[in-house]
Amino acid sequence: MTVKIRFFARFRELLGTDIMTDVASGTMFTSLIATIARKNPAGYAAIFDEKGAFYEFVILMKNGKRVELEDAATTPVADGDEIAVFPPVAGG
Amino acid sequence: MIAIQTADVDIGALIAAAKKQGTGAVVVFDGIVRDDGITEMELEAYEEVAAKELEKIAKEATDQFRLLHVDIIHRIGRLTVGENILIIVVSAGHRPEAYAGSRYIIEEIKKGVPIWKKELTKDGGRWVPGEHGHGGGKPR
Repeated sequence: MTVKIRFFARFRELLGTDIMTDVASGTMFTSLIATIARKNPAGYAAIFDEKGAFYEFVILMKNGKRVELEDAATTPVADGDEIAVFPPVAGG
Repeated sequence: MIAIQTADVDIGALIAAAKKQGTGAVVVFDGIVRDDGITEMELEAYEEVAAKELEKIAKEATDQFRLLHVDIIHRIGRLTVGENILIIVVSAGHRPEAYAGSRYIIEEIKKGVPIWKKELTKDGGRWVPGEHGHGGGKPR
């Protein structure tokens, strides 16, 4: 199955965006993002701490809805999902 | 009008359109690229989500402060010093509601709408740090 990953702002600069990737059924949010982020050590280090946990400021969305960080390791992704990963917002 | 767009807007025309029947006050908020030693500012949005959030904030403000009209236009792309970033136009029967409604909208945008700013300088650029997470906790 295929999902789309969108990084924004600083994360986008480090990792790119609109990344289409094939994933195995049952893949969880956290492992998918970690796999993609490892392609650039600086990108990984911007999102994950030294223990491999999301920094608490990281924001996750699935199809435009927030996914809590504490739920990400147990939230599976599904075919066609759009996953967004971004730093704190700074509009206005 | 609720929009995320690159183009600027005619604020005078927005004010004229905001004067619905019963209007006693129109409040305009115009957020501008400040001269903080930068050359330009680049704005980026998660557009589909940000537009829905702006619609939601406009509705909340309308209901809570009995607003008669709301415009929110947030610009994205590259902007130079002095350009408009965010224009909020609200009208209400009386000034307390108009001021409070306008203030509510800008504070909610700062809290939770997925938009980011990068200040571009001669030496490169720096992302403006966000004050909040998206909604600051459980989904709203």
